[in-house]
Amino acid sequence: MSETSIQARANPVPVLPERAPSPRLSRFRYLRKGLRALASLRLTVFLFVLSMFLVFCGTLAMMDHGLWATLSQYFRAFLAWIPLQVFVRLGQVFFGVPTSWHVAGSFPFPGGWTLGAALLVNLLAAHIVRFRFTWKRAGILLLHTGLLLLMLGELVTGLFAVEGVMTIPVDGSCNYVENTDQMELAFVWPADAHNDHVVVVPDDLLRQGGAIRHEALPVDIDVVRYVANSTLTEDAPPPAQNLATRGFGLETAVLEQPPGRGVDANQKRDMPSAYITLKDKKTGQGLGTYLVSAWFSVPQKVEVDGTAYQMSLRFRRSYRPFTFHLKELRYETHHGTSLAKEYASVIQVIDPEHGEDREVTIYMNHPLYYQGETFYQANVNVTKAGEFTGLQAVRNPGWPIPYVACTLVSGGMALHFLLHLRDFLRRKVLS
Amino acid sequence: MSKAESLVPWVLVGLAVIYLIAMMAPPIESAAPMRLDEFAALPLEDEGRVKPYDTLARNSLMIISSRQTFVDEDGHTQPAIRWLLDVMTSGPLFQAANQQQGPKFALAGEKHQVFRIDNPEVVALLGLKRREGSRYALAEFRDRLDKLEQEAKRIAKKDPKGLTPYEKGVHDLASHLQLYIKLANWMETLYIFPPSTPDEEWQTFQETNAEAGLKAALSGVPTMVMAYARNDAKTFNAELEAFRKQVGELRPADVRRSGTEAFFNHFAPFYQCTLLYIFVFLLGCLSWLGWTRPLNRAAFWLAVVTLVVHTLALIARMYLMNRWFVFVTNLYSSAVFIGWGCVALCLLLEKLFHNGLGNVLAAFCGAVTMLVAHHLGSDGDTLALLQPVLDTNFWLATHVTCVTMGYTATFVAGFLGVAYILGGVITPWLSKATAKTLTQMLYGVLCFATLMSFTGTVLGGIWADQSWGRFWGWDPKENGALLIVIWNALVLHARWGGMIKPRGMAVLAVVGNMVTGWSWFGTNQLGVGLHAYGFNDTLATGLVVFWVTQLAVIGMGLLPLRFWASHETLLLDKPTNLEDKPLVPAVDKRHRKRSTKRGEASYSPGPA
Repeated sequence: MSETSIQARANPVPVLPERAPSPRLSRFRYLRKGLRALASLRLTVFLFVLSMFLVFCGTLAMMDHGLWATLSQYFRAFLAWIPLQVFVRLGQVFFGVPTSWHVAGSFPFPGGWTLGAALLVNLLAAHIVRFRFTWKRAGILLLHTGLLLLMLGELVTGLFAVEGVMTIPVDGSCNYVENTDQMELAFVWPADAHNDHVVVVPDDLLRQGGAIRHEALPVDIDVVRYVANSTLTEDAPPPAQNLATRGFGLETAVLEQPPGRGVDANQKRDMPSAYITLKDKKTGQGLGTYLVSAWFSVPQKVEVDGTAYQMSLRFRRSYRPFTFHLKELRYETHHGTSLAKEYASVIQVIDPEHGEDREVTIYMNHPLYYQGETFYQANVNVTKAGEFTGLQAVRNPGWPIPYVACTLVSGGMALHFLLHLRDFLRRKVLS
Repeated sequence: MSKAESLVPWVLVGLAVIYLIAMMAPPIESAAPMRLDEFAALPLEDEGRVKPYDTLARNSLMIISSRQTFVDEDGHTQPAIRWLLDVMTSGPLFQAANQQQGPKFALAGEKHQVFRIDNPEVVALLGLKRREGSRYALAEFRDRLDKLEQEAKRIAKKDPKGLTPYEKGVHDLASHLQLYIKLANWMETLYIFPPSTPDEEWQTFQETNAEAGLKAALSGVPTMVMAYARNDAKTFNAELEAFRKQVGELRPADVRRSGTEAFFNHFAPFYQCTLLYIFVFLLGCLSWLGWTRPLNRAAFWLAVVTLVVHTLALIARMYLMNRWFVFVTNLYSSAVFIGWGCVALCLLLEKLFHNGLGNVLAAFCGAVTMLVAHHLGSDGDTLALLQPVLDTNFWLATHVTCVTMGYTATFVAGFLGVAYILGGVITPWLSKATAKTLTQMLYGVLCFATLMSFTGTVLGGIWADQSWGRFWGWDPKENGALLIVIWNALVLHARWGGMIKPRGMAVLAVVGNMVTGWSWFGTNQLGVGLHAYGFNDTLATGLVVFWVTQLAVIGMGLLPLRFWASHETLLLDKPTNLEDKPLVPAVDKRHRKRSTKRGEASYSPGPA
């Protein structure tokens, strides 16, 4: 075969009669053309510029909106609306722009999902169009595969990762993880000696307002006023202006706060409050208007038909088949200072399903991996009510992806640059 | 090269070494009857770490006075340790003694003019007159302290970010006074007695007095302080000897470490490095004007000597913190390490390309980063303890080192770009061949920068994943590192795609400087996230100034070529003649041989 091919090349090529390109071929050519456009390095550079601008503006936006809001509005979004105010804020920090300035308006910009997808397409197209394997390109190939994986990993994390908090008092137990992004209105009443009935109303329903009716609920609910982010006053409001007629609301009032602060450096989150009127399900008779708030650390008692219900607006809980019992909470400071040296929680893991009952210690940089979830020592709260440990609970099915991806990228880059360095040094020696 | 010329580098290097050794020699006070310098090397525990009295004295004086020495009433410059002892002998105990028994003690600590008060309104509040140096003694405004306290209490309730210069002045002075009071009340606040067993903690005078009685509490430092107050050198020295022996038996490692730290403070290696880098920079610049070969060689080897001192100082810091391979623990050390990396990288470039540019860039980067570090370190202990989450040597040694190397390489690439643009626009130095060499250098450094910043960022991600379950947290500092990675990748891709030519690459590399500046200092100013180390006015201003200079360079780089001074040389395909136009271009070996044949100058920065 090889001989004939050499032969064919050696002979003058016979001139073929001209023929119109077949429609299939031309369609293929268009496809190739399209791919080539998608694979262009100019597009890559352009997308890089857009990405940098997005990351930069997102970082600036964190000053006003906190980390979490920015994450969902800029990086994990298809379209980001960038307020002009972010540039004013930049000016305020660095260029002495007066702090009173405020500029309204915003402009649309491709979000993280869009740019990521575009980069992905660009990368794939580039490899389809220009694919050929040589040792010289092995590094590039490896590193681009890694990048692809890295982007997919962030996608998986964005879509599927769940983060929550487990707060356990010293000598207390906990079998649920709280999702601090969402709230729920819970009614709890005892079922038997060891178990409780729990019925919850999602935060979204309260936010919508109006009447909430459900057969599982012990009462009917009318939302009078919902405040997405609030603080509470220290003093009781004058009765004439108070929406609440019973419960904790008699002693405090709600102050509305701008929503969307999300998490800032102090891990602050939106703290909603609501005035709700409870009604008897059978008679429709009013049972009073209560104030429920994320700020209340203990539930309020509501009595309906002789049953006492515990009512609270709390972080949404998801229950686990295992229980953590906090045996000991260690927090040390460096001698003679208030600087923290170490936080550690000694936990008894009790899991009847898997027959486990063992002691583990969770501390900084040493989390516990359990049942597909990872528990990290996040904080320690010492309040009048007692000492609590805060464990960060993370379930991320995509967690191994970045590890593989990074190994590929770093290895690829190192290989590529080493090959180049070798060539460069060789040329230097030869010249 | 004549014999005299070949000697020049060695003479200069020799002089530098002699200078360094002279700086290491013990201070003159060691000959004084009271052995203050030996007292300065004794260990104590303060702010959670064991340090010599010398460090406590210098850092405190630095905070209060922005200097490590003070000028006494007779106009003599005195070391910080003397000020510390003067403050320790001006406390409540000595004041009470004076009140009961007449003026027995000098209370010199109150009379030294050390409190730096810059704001004229604060000076007026204290009923003082403005004076040169803006430093005042406590005795001068003692009677107005209640007014200051009143104002300080009011200001303490306000948001620290929104303070006026006057309020900030009051706030600062109040905190300086608190530090003074802490030192004057040393019996309750300073942990001066070492533990006798490893499980115990260091103790204050008061604690020892309560536990072991007055006799035990009076031994050691308290006796020395009393002897100092009475100017009794004999007792002071005798007790010093005894106490040092006692501590040496109990805590040998602490004594060694604090001795090293006191020596480190005295030698001030980073200060010496700053001076030497400036000198190297001047040599490098001079070499452009003439006598190129010997001066360049001298600059190179002097830079190497300085780099050795710089390296040893970094190692000494690791020893003092007892964290091996951890180069960076705070902003101060990041500046010191970035400086080190820049110098090392630039000298490597010099070794590879022999064009004199590496020397100048090395010296420039070294000196500038040292000055930045000096500024960053002026507000306290640069070896201070770390937050618990940072308390891991492995990640500090890998992630932080890599990211910082990434910053370093991006800066070096950026300054190569600056050299390309300034050399091209202002001087006729940039020939086609020089431009090619510079581009090669830039390209190599950029590749290294991309590799380092990417690897570093990723290692940070892994650390984050291990510490709080988030590979990527979109924290401002992380985003800053991401910007550097994307930027470097952008420049490389633009180059590969033929979108930019050498000049474009130089311009983009300078933009890289701005991006890195943002990531290094800018992101900290936003007050958001895990890496927020606090806001700093001067840092923000400094960053803005840096950005403006870089923008100016970028603007020059974008000028049409016909306005470049190198417009004509850029068309030539050979390097500029070394002797005619001493701004040194690239010489690769082929050119060097040819030019040597013609009897023209050629040089290599090292001994042949």
